[in-house]
Amino acid sequence: MSHTLPIWLVGGVLLLGAGFATTLLPWWRAREQARRTAWSTARTEIDSAAVSRDAAATRVPEAEQLLARAELIAAGRGGPAAARAAAGYARQADRLWREHA
Amino acid sequence: MTGRLGRGPRELLRWAFLGIAVVVLVVFLLAQRQSVDVSYGRSPSSSAGVEEGSAGELSDASVPSVAEMTALVAAHPVVRLPGSTARWDEQRIREFIGNRDVRILVAPPGLDEDERERVRDVQNATVRVIGTEVTGSIYQATADDLPSWRDQFAAGDVTVPLAALIAKLTDQPTPPDRAELRWREPTDRELAVVAADLRATGLHRAPGATLTKIPADNARNAFPDGARFVALPPQRDGAPVPRYGPALTRLFPGTPIVVLYGLWIEYHGPGHDDFAELAGASFYGQFGSRLSRYDYPQGNVLATYLDRVTDVRYAGLFERPLPYRPIDPLRVALPALPWVFAVCVAVFLILSIRSLRRPAAGPGIRPGSPRPREPRRHRPRRDRIPARLAGLTALAVEMSLLTDARSDPALARGIVRLRAASEALGEGLPDRHVRTLLTEAADELDDAARTLGIPGYRPYLYLRERLS
Repeated sequence: MSHTLPIWLVGGVLLLGAGFATTLLPWWRAREQARRTAWSTARTEIDSAAVSRDAAATRVPEAEQLLARAELIAAGRGGPAAARAAAGYARQADRLWREHA
Repeated sequence: MTGRLGRGPRELLRWAFLGIAVVVLVVFLLAQRQSVDVSYGRSPSSSAGVEEGSAGELSDASVPSVAEMTALVAAHPVVRLPGSTARWDEQRIREFIGNRDVRILVAPPGLDEDERERVRDVQNATVRVIGTEVTGSIYQATADDLPSWRDQFAAGDVTVPLAALIAKLTDQPTPPDRAELRWREPTDRELAVVAADLRATGLHRAPGATLTKIPADNARNAFPDGARFVALPPQRDGAPVPRYGPALTRLFPGTPIVVLYGLWIEYHGPGHDDFAELAGASFYGQFGSRLSRYDYPQGNVLATYLDRVTDVRYAGLFERPLPYRPIDPLRVALPALPWVFAVCVAVFLILSIRSLRRPAAGPGIRPGSPRPREPRRHRPRRDRIPARLAGLTALAVEMSLLTDARSDPALARGIVRLRAASEALGEGLPDRHVRTLLTEAADELDDAARTLGIPGYRPYLYLRERLS
């Protein structure tokens, strides 16, 4: 029986490895995609707010503050939660500037 | 979403292979239990150990204190303690001793460890006989052939070992062995009584025999076709002993007959020449010293003897057919298990890698890569996204020619979102995200078109026109 021992050991390790890989890899991929999606939204909102700022008739300090905060968060990078927070600030700023257009 | 068809069965197959691999591994691990139990052809004879006293070998007899026994031995050359059973040819031994000072202490059989120790502590006894175990100084004399064992266990006669031991202790040449037990033919009356019992119940018990009943399981294993048993008490009076075996074989031809004289067991019947001697010699060779010390009931000795007969039968020494043994599927499958396991692991690995190459969330359309084949029902919906992006982009370009200061910001915001949607599509982000961006872009463009006052540029009208 001893000569078949490597088969059992290597086979067991491979099974474990395959199990971890097939569980972790899709999970990691999904997380990465969620992060990229959130940042895509955040960047779009910031760009959109910048357009609104340029088009605004008057300066709106509150909106500028909000946009600055959003850009600060975006500059620091981070996870989906940070991206959502940045998007939220940018959206608020955008709305304020549109009101003053 | 890619490859949703075909994923189910393949996934199922993958987990099935994993399950088989785990089962095989567990079977392998459980089969690793090692056993040291060795038996002849899986003989059903029992091989459990026994403790002192558990087989009824201790008698009620006891011995006096060491001081009393020493005094007795000093007073008499031969001391027989109450209950002792050993006897010998007095004449022969007395002549053999001559005028040397040899003192013999005879103790009953079935003493426990303490009592035997007391007997051994009697320093002035030259020879000690406990039961029929003969010891003296540092020596022990034991019988080593069938006639000596027969003397010892059928008649309690220890002449041969006693003479050998005294010869050793007194530097004389060892006298030749001479069987003391003498046979005679049984009378017709004796034979008739025994035969009547055997015909009726298969067992004859003479008065004084300690056999109460035949050990049924052991007897069935040893003699599957049935056997007849004769139990007689030990023949200690020195008179010739009736030899029932051959006489009963003539009366019951073809039937195994087992005759017990005390603790001496004889087999007669079919295969006698082949195996009676072998079974007897191996049995008394192994158990002789225990049987001589202790006072076993005949039933227990008979059960052990029958187990030995079973072992001899199962050894196949005499080309007796062994009973059918079903093959053990585990033993047959064991060498194949590692390879089954390896195949399962390999299949599981291959299927795992395939499943990783087709991630669950669709990657969209990669630039430059051919579009994967998709189920028909998804095609219209997925194809609409690039078409809509293209349409909206064309609309934005057209509008940019006519735009003015009022509609400019909305158009710019729409273009920002269109660009983001295009990037998201290129990066393979989820369709839902791309659609949200496109919808927001369309809203902005709609805003711009209304500001411009050109209804034909409103996205839903423009796209309907372009896409139709």
